[in-house]
Amino acid sequence: MAIDTSVSEFEYPGEEDVGTPAKPPPVWRRSAWLQPNVLWAIAGGVIGYLIGHWLGNVIASGYQQVQSSGQNNVAIVLGLSLGVAGWLAGIGALTYPLAKILGYEPSPSPPQQSWVRYFRMTEDHKVVGWQYAIGVLTFLFTGGLLAMLIRTELLSPTTHVFGPGTYIFLVSEHGTVMMMMATSAVVGPLGNWLVPLMIGSRRMAYPRVESFSFWIFMAGYLVILSAFFFGGFPTGWTGYAPLQTQANGGMDSYLVGFGVIGLGMILAGFNLAATIINYRAPGMNWGRVPIFVWGILATTALLTLATPTLVVAGLFGILDRTAETAFYVNEHGGSNFLWQNLFWFFGHPEVYIMALPGFGIVMEIMPVFTRKPLFAYKVAAAGMLGVALLSFFVWQHHLFQSGINPDMRPLFMLTTELISIPTGFLFLVTLGTLWKAKIRFDTPMLFCLGMLFNFLIGGVTGVFLSDVPVNVTVHGSFFVMAHFHYTIMGGLIFAMFAGFYFWFPKITGKTLNRKLSKWHFWTFFVFFNCTFFPLFLVGILGMPRRVFEYASNLQTLNDISSISAYFLGASFFFFIINVVWSIYLNPHPAPDNPWNSLGLEWQTPTPVPWYDFEHIPVVLNDPYHYGEADAPPVADLGKVLSAVGAPAGSVSHEDLGTGVEGDGDPRPPIL
Amino acid sequence: MSLAWKLGVTVVLFAISVTAAIVLIVNLLGTPPVVNFTSPSPGAPVNVRLQTVGSFGSGSHPTWVSYLVRSPQGQWVHTTVFQVPEHTRINVTIDQYDSGSPLRNQQLGQVTGTYGSVASLNGRLFRVINSNAGNGVGHTFSIPSLGVNVPLSGVNGNANLCGAAPCTTSSPHNVIRFSFNSPGPGSYRWQCFVPCGLGFLYGNGGPMSTLGYMGGFLKVVA
Repeated sequence: MAIDTSVSEFEYPGEEDVGTPAKPPPVWRRSAWLQPNVLWAIAGGVIGYLIGHWLGNVIASGYQQVQSSGQNNVAIVLGLSLGVAGWLAGIGALTYPLAKILGYEPSPSPPQQSWVRYFRMTEDHKVVGWQYAIGVLTFLFTGGLLAMLIRTELLSPTTHVFGPGTYIFLVSEHGTVMMMMATSAVVGPLGNWLVPLMIGSRRMAYPRVESFSFWIFMAGYLVILSAFFFGGFPTGWTGYAPLQTQANGGMDSYLVGFGVIGLGMILAGFNLAATIINYRAPGMNWGRVPIFVWGILATTALLTLATPTLVVAGLFGILDRTAETAFYVNEHGGSNFLWQNLFWFFGHPEVYIMALPGFGIVMEIMPVFTRKPLFAYKVAAAGMLGVALLSFFVWQHHLFQSGINPDMRPLFMLTTELISIPTGFLFLVTLGTLWKAKIRFDTPMLFCLGMLFNFLIGGVTGVFLSDVPVNVTVHGSFFVMAHFHYTIMGGLIFAMFAGFYFWFPKITGKTLNRKLSKWHFWTFFVFFNCTFFPLFLVGILGMPRRVFEYASNLQTLNDISSISAYFLGASFFFFIINVVWSIYLNPHPAPDNPWNSLGLEWQTPTPVPWYDFEHIPVVLNDPYHYGEADAPPVADLGKVLSAVGAPAGSVSHEDLGTGVEGDGDPRPPIL
Repeated sequence: MSLAWKLGVTVVLFAISVTAAIVLIVNLLGTPPVVNFTSPSPGAPVNVRLQTVGSFGSGSHPTWVSYLVRSPQGQWVHTTVFQVPEHTRINVTIDQYDSGSPLRNQQLGQVTGTYGSVASLNGRLFRVINSNAGNGVGHTFSIPSLGVNVPLSGVNGNANLCGAAPCTTSSPHNVIRFSFNSPGPGSYRWQCFVPCGLGFLYGNGGPMSTLGYMGGFLKVVA
């Protein structure tokens, strides 16, 4: 029985019966600027903050702690919390649920196609992907600027640019901004943009939640930046108690900011998981799901299961600082170990929230540029799920030096070393794909290879760090700092750029300048290693993290690192100039499939229409049969495809084994 | 839109971004003023006078404890950064207007790094203070990289203490004097090691971690 994949079943917005002229909507609904948008969000945020701050002063001005310290944490926390609520109200995130609660049926409207849609809530997953891209790059450049300031301070052991308090705040703000950015660096822009296209869906499972998760993510960014106005915070990104409990008002920004971004991460995780599980096109069984989607799915498990711990831990910290509870205060019956355990129960899976999508990108891209099938696809999927599972059992290796029961050390050393096995699976899959391949060294592939090189160094040093004796020796030193920069920046950020360069033609419809792309890669790769490799040596020689003074014999290595860091920062200009040049100044249209990829997302027109697929595709095979002369088609798109498709309606349910009638997506497009 | 227009828009947007970044950096670089004690006659000893006050009494943190520095012109300046010449004897006088308490670490009751490893309290020499007796220790003046540490004996807490800076000598206070040699050029951090951030758990927050209150820099120049 053939499947009807015609478009007629769907009622696209704007194609409704137009026999009766509709009454024009009121002015406030016609003007995009009078509807909820980012300007209203800013206004709502400011008003919310002022109300919350006033309320906090009314509530807590009589507290002894407030009188003595000159710092009212209640006012700051309430101000920031209501500020976030005001931001969300201004952007329109509360309009739909409030209307439903009050008994109104919100009237649907077709998605706007003007540029205004990028500054408001939207239900188009591609627009949300764009918004995330801008948001993530904003995070990245903010954190990068702070990194430049840190390296400037470390140019000399005795001549200081900043005071010790400002320095530790810069380190803390840099770490917090970067880690929060990194949780969404791939999942946000590429996950939201690509997952529906890769699985043959027209939408995310919960489009309003998708948009909500982005806008609350940006609110969290502003909250974390607000620490500048409250004296900063001295704890590093880890926020350890008891320092957390006694810190300046900037600590409130950290705790509220983490909570707010955590909520966004949880919602984004649920949404992506629901989309991948429920919205796959007919025929896309688990053996045909693109490996990048497997990576996102494994990540969603971490986002949804680990992040709630962070949110709760932050809430406890807020209560300690405002309501004078004692969750983390030893003298009053609490325990500062509680924070460490709760934080790292989130914090270590978070490392894999960053790493897994990166590996997903690399394994997705490599077959395209090697023209070989992905080596050991099932092992790759199993490896990612294995890493996700094991990541919940390793958190106490961060506490080796904190005074945990020594008998617990061998267990967590073992579990930490065990995780290198599924990680090794992923590495071997990439190496197997490279084996005897004729590699095309285009920019995305170069970034993939760079990621493998860096992650190998970061991974091997991680194995050493998991051993208690080494950990005890180099704990809290620049060795640890260099290790995680190799895994996160050398791994995730390289993979993120690989993804950006690979999917850029599809996402923007424009072609990037090849020379500028390669200049970006080579300067980025060389200066990344020149910046961070000396820090392994500095760490072994005993330089501690987060301290702005160091021994004078370490100056040469620090100066090499600092000067390289300036060039590393400058290398981003190649990327920015390239993007601005290619999109805005001198645009060249990109072909539909410039890399000759078999991925489903590449079989759509460029630019991709807002409804993604004219016909819901019927998936026939996995997208990795490169270099096979008699390779079966990947999907039936309802039209004859140039290279990979099959004639419309030529596939039966018996072929697919789905038993599903229709196109598999019984829901109408989201309005 | 022509290429010139596009370039213009790009340059304007870039300029706005750079300006925003510079504003951020300038905001961060906002450090307390530097009081210059560089002597006009090389080799001559330099006299530095500081005071400690229990609550500053004005500004953005009126309840915070703070150090102040008296400039060579005789004005009290709210800062903790001062500049001295290299390899010179620095004579320090501290007017201590704050009350004290027992030290958590008795080691900090010892005078180190000064001439003769001694200091004077209201004219009487001492090498160590028993902080569990009398009025305890209010603050310390410590330069870790030079090994300098001087405990500042507290004032009787029941006295009518000075509540707003700058304090005058009519308020109850102790006078602590000591001398040390400045090293070669560089910035040397100094700070109080007594957790005195009142209202902050364990006393280490607020003024204890903010430049211009309980910590600063000794800037040594050639």
